[in-house]
Amino acid sequence: MKRSSAQRVLRDVASKVLQNYRDVVGVQSAVLFSADGFELASYAADEAAAARLAAIGSSLAALGSAISAEAGLDEFERTTIESKSGTVTIMRVGDDGAMSLAVVAGRNAVLGQLLWATQRCSQALAAAVHT
Amino acid sequence: MTAPEEGEFKIVFTGPMGAGKTTAIAAISEVEPVRTEVDNSDRENHEKEYTTVGFDFGRITLPGGHPVRLYGTPGQARFRFMWSILGRGAAGVIILLDATRADALEQLDLFVDAFLPLVPPGAIVVGIGRNAEPGAVATDAFATRMEARGLVAPVLTIDAREPRDVRLLVHTLTCILESRVPAGACA
Repeated sequence: MKRSSAQRVLRDVASKVLQNYRDVVGVQSAVLFSADGFELASYAADEAAAARLAAIGSSLAALGSAISAEAGLDEFERTTIESKSGTVTIMRVGDDGAMSLAVVAGRNAVLGQLLWATQRCSQALAAAVHT
Repeated sequence: MTAPEEGEFKIVFTGPMGAGKTTAIAAISEVEPVRTEVDNSDRENHEKEYTTVGFDFGRITLPGGHPVRLYGTPGQARFRFMWSILGRGAAGVIILLDATRADALEQLDLFVDAFLPLVPPGAIVVGIGRNAEPGAVATDAFATRMEARGLVAPVLTIDAREPRDVRLLVHTLTCILESRVPAGACA
């Protein structure tokens, strides 16, 4: 299987894209993960944290798809978990549902700016991965 | 009223990836089950096309008229956080295992360890699939393994695709629950 070399390329490309979060106020970490919960690339998250975020993020994305379908909506695109001390946003990357992005941000983040940056990042990742 | 009906309870299907949890719930649910299956990208460890990452949900009615909610967990250990979420408030757990996996007994230990603290004492039933295939772990070995740790649990051989087999698992579990509830909550 070519999985490992293909993954390394993906990791390198996606890691570069995720570096853009350095310029977004309040972002603490970000992880790109497969639909079945494997981390593919990360920003400012150690390996263990990235693995946990990937697993939980994939459950949330799957539940997002399930509730969208249940409600008769289109495919899941994004969900934001809000707490007093910050937010976690899960956004789908690409059209095939194979990957999603989780972004953890602190209270100092501006939600609109964060979502916009995440949209941009998701598009850049989808483009990078599919070329 | 949208509150749970009188006597309605929840049963959790758990066990490793590929043991048949999603299949078992789909086999007996009276409503279209909720599934959260996605593409499995880990084909080196499992030749399975899809894998559950959230949970399965279905519903059946027992012969006495009591509705039961069926929840299926993800099987991979990295989704362990879902096990405790789904195990909360469960009346009992059904552990499904694939006897052809060389580590089937270790998997039994793993899921017993995870769910023993979450369910009432004794509310565990074990379902063994693919027990007749070459190289399968002997069915007795699972019961022996449970006994060795001081636990008594019915161990049944099943085909998760067979509604009759899956119903038998649920029925066995509800019999255990019934015997523990003095007021006869179950018919």
